[in-house]
Amino acid sequence: MEKLQFVGRRILYLIVMMLGVATLVFLLSKMIGDPISANLSQRALSDPQIVEAYKAKYGLDEPLGTQYYLYMKNLLHLDLGTSVRTNTPVLGELKRCFPATVELAFTAILFASLFGILFGIISARRRNSLTDQCVRAISVTGVSVPGFWLALLALYFLYYKHAIFPGPGRLSNQFLAPRHVTGMFVLDSLLEGNVDKALNAFGHLLLPGLVLAAFTMGLITRTTRSNLLDVMGTDYVRTARAKGLSEGALIRKHAIGNAIIPVLTVIGLGLGNMLGGMVLVETIFNWPGVGQYAYQSVMSADFPAIIGVSLLIALNYMVINTVVDILYGIIDPRVRCQ
Amino acid sequence: MKKALALLLVLLLALALVACGSSSQAPASSGDSEADAAPANTTVVVAFGGGFDTLDPGYTYERNPPMVINACYENLFKFYSNEGAPEPCLVDTYEFSEDNMKLTLTLKDGITFASGNPMTSEDVRFSLMRVKNLKGNPSFICDTIASIDTPDEKTVVLNLTQPDSAILSKLTYASCAVLDSVLAKEHGATDAEDAATADTAQAYLNNNSLGSGMYILTSYVPDSEIVLEKNPNYWGTPTNVDKYIIQIQPDSNTQMMTLKTGDIDIACNMSDDTMAELAGLDNIALLSSASKTVGFIMMNLDEQYGGPVSDPLVQQAIRKAVDYAGVQTICGEGTSTPYSLLQTGFMGAKGERPVDYTDVEAAKALMAEAGYPDGFSIDMPVCDLDMEGILLTDLAQKVKSDLAQINIDVNIVPYPWAAGYGDEYRNGTLGFTVMYWATDYTDPNVQLEFLAGGIVGLRAQWTAENDPEIAAYYQKITNATDNAERTALLEEMQEKTYEHGPFLMIAQAPVHLGYNTRLDGVAFSDPYVVDLTQVNLK
Repeated sequence: MEKLQFVGRRILYLIVMMLGVATLVFLLSKMIGDPISANLSQRALSDPQIVEAYKAKYGLDEPLGTQYYLYMKNLLHLDLGTSVRTNTPVLGELKRCFPATVELAFTAILFASLFGILFGIISARRRNSLTDQCVRAISVTGVSVPGFWLALLALYFLYYKHAIFPGPGRLSNQFLAPRHVTGMFVLDSLLEGNVDKALNAFGHLLLPGLVLAAFTMGLITRTTRSNLLDVMGTDYVRTARAKGLSEGALIRKHAIGNAIIPVLTVIGLGLGNMLGGMVLVETIFNWPGVGQYAYQSVMSADFPAIIGVSLLIALNYMVINTVVDILYGIIDPRVRCQ
Repeated sequence: MKKALALLLVLLLALALVACGSSSQAPASSGDSEADAAPANTTVVVAFGGGFDTLDPGYTYERNPPMVINACYENLFKFYSNEGAPEPCLVDTYEFSEDNMKLTLTLKDGITFASGNPMTSEDVRFSLMRVKNLKGNPSFICDTIASIDTPDEKTVVLNLTQPDSAILSKLTYASCAVLDSVLAKEHGATDAEDAATADTAQAYLNNNSLGSGMYILTSYVPDSEIVLEKNPNYWGTPTNVDKYIIQIQPDSNTQMMTLKTGDIDIACNMSDDTMAELAGLDNIALLSSASKTVGFIMMNLDEQYGGPVSDPLVQQAIRKAVDYAGVQTICGEGTSTPYSLLQTGFMGAKGERPVDYTDVEAAKALMAEAGYPDGFSIDMPVCDLDMEGILLTDLAQKVKSDLAQINIDVNIVPYPWAAGYGDEYRNGTLGFTVMYWATDYTDPNVQLEFLAGGIVGLRAQWTAENDPEIAAYYQKITNATDNAERTALLEEMQEKTYEHGPFLMIAQAPVHLGYNTRLDGVAFSDPYVVDLTQVNLK
């Protein structure tokens, strides 16, 4: 019963937040951009008939209150409206570009988590050694270097100069895109039974995945290291050490469980951030994800699309936070008891 | 946990190695591993920038989609080369009426759409009226078409609202591509007056083509990729390229790298820097050429806005003070400086402004004559746009340094387009600025908007009333359907505006293109970027 109440509260909170986000973004997009001048050419703008037709087509000739009412009414029917830039349903466009972002974001967060936790543990175990200094330098670099610059460097050296990784895009040209099932090329290729294509698609994920992972990996490394060091200094660890446990077993059995909880929060935030799309990295790697879509939408003051992307990002964070909360409970029994 | 982590890492590494190995084959030259893909050696991969949202000809307005439209559809007329006048494509013969108010066109025999349907005059009428009634960005192209008659299946009569010497060029425009009207109607297209709201074919036409062109559109993933395959029912003579994959790569560095590695064959949006990186390679050919996009200085004629630059003597001093060769250096190889209001390459263009036109001493004398021997200070609002990749702020900096030599202290004021620059520019309340103009369609008449009373002319408060002689050229040139007569008038107009008026054209922006030398017939095209129907594999 308590669990049901928890889930119910979460869903209610989600709905209220989504409506709030939609309202806020609707008002902001109306205040800062004019979709008519952003989407009509200078010639078209000088023709009142064209301007009127455009307004009528997208309901922009209605008073703001009516526009808001109609938008929210459609939203409650899960209709995100029609893009004033592309004249196609926003929901369909998000279905097209979100899987590309999901595929990339999950690859990146996998790299970030694996390397980040590993580096964090190594760094904590060899505190103040040369290894620790090197790992800390790598993590600080990862956090500090702008993603787009790292993307350019990675593409230049690892694709262009040394051909270690495949180039931009989701698939090499000799392959046709797999039939759309999930929209994620690796999975869809496997569902098609084409392992070569799946491997090719996975290969294309590696370089942008590593570039995107750099920032979050740096954070995870630093968080893991500092939390592990904190935990290693506590009384119960000292007691375990006194019992004669090896350092490895100590970390594995007693320390890492407690140290990992704040890391989960960092992973969750990192994933939420990546699922919102990374405009410049997507542009450089020619990756048709949410970031590029959001950028184009903002430039065109395409308010249905902007609201659609904002709701998607809000939903991502809500879902990820819920999952992180559940994982807290799995890892730490004290959270379960609460 | 440690073992599991290590195992996962090893697995991931192994998978990555396999994936990298399988992906590192050069797709354009390697054998094809898939039965459903065209043989790689007859597939050509092209990269161009994004910034467009539709492949429906009725809404096509941006720069890059005409490459696709031109490959999949055909127009009544076409530019087969980048210089000169449009030539008949679907049209066999054409004739203007004596009063130039009617254009009668006879279609060629034996033209079929990709569907196999024969092309008739009704298809032409439907396609043009749809563009007009959709009331979208390109609808202006049909402004001078009042109605269309189709007396028989092969004859089309355009009834014009006024004589229009640019009508043949307008009919080459991507939006005027002829659609298979039978199929278009089946998918929701309409040419009715309420087409702006009633037409529902855009979604279909974004993913399918309904033309008679050499290729058919088989796939379009926005912001990613377009695939064209050969039209099996093509009525003309096709090239030997079976398939085009057009990748949308907004970044010129990415285009440079993918061209060099062989992942693409044609890079349409190279920059001056990326061209230098590829110079000297045996398998890459490079082209730099002046586009029709032109950067200009605008000096408002209304003293209320322009202040001292509204004075014709000051305007002439500015003309003499600008270092045109230096502007060309900033913009890169391929840049040219138009003689006057008409870009080089257009029919009737008088070429370039002489390199030795700059004369700082003469400019200083003009300033003294105008009553400003010690110069003056003036604000120059500049917006955040770029002209074919060249920032307007960079151009403004150059103008500022040139004008400093004649004691004009230019204070550059950054003014984003969306934050009000756009409105002020259109309303004609900007006093002194650097801006650019990208042509709507490939015809010298687009430049008539810069004349007194034209759309752009009015932005500098250059009204027909205060300069009737210049304003009269608008109508005279529009009425001149005879090319020789139009050329003579255009030349006259350029002479009259060479040292007169509120506009100074300072640079025609360059375009840079690189391609693999396995291809033949690659050339820059103003209307189509690259005319894919003229590209062959060697």
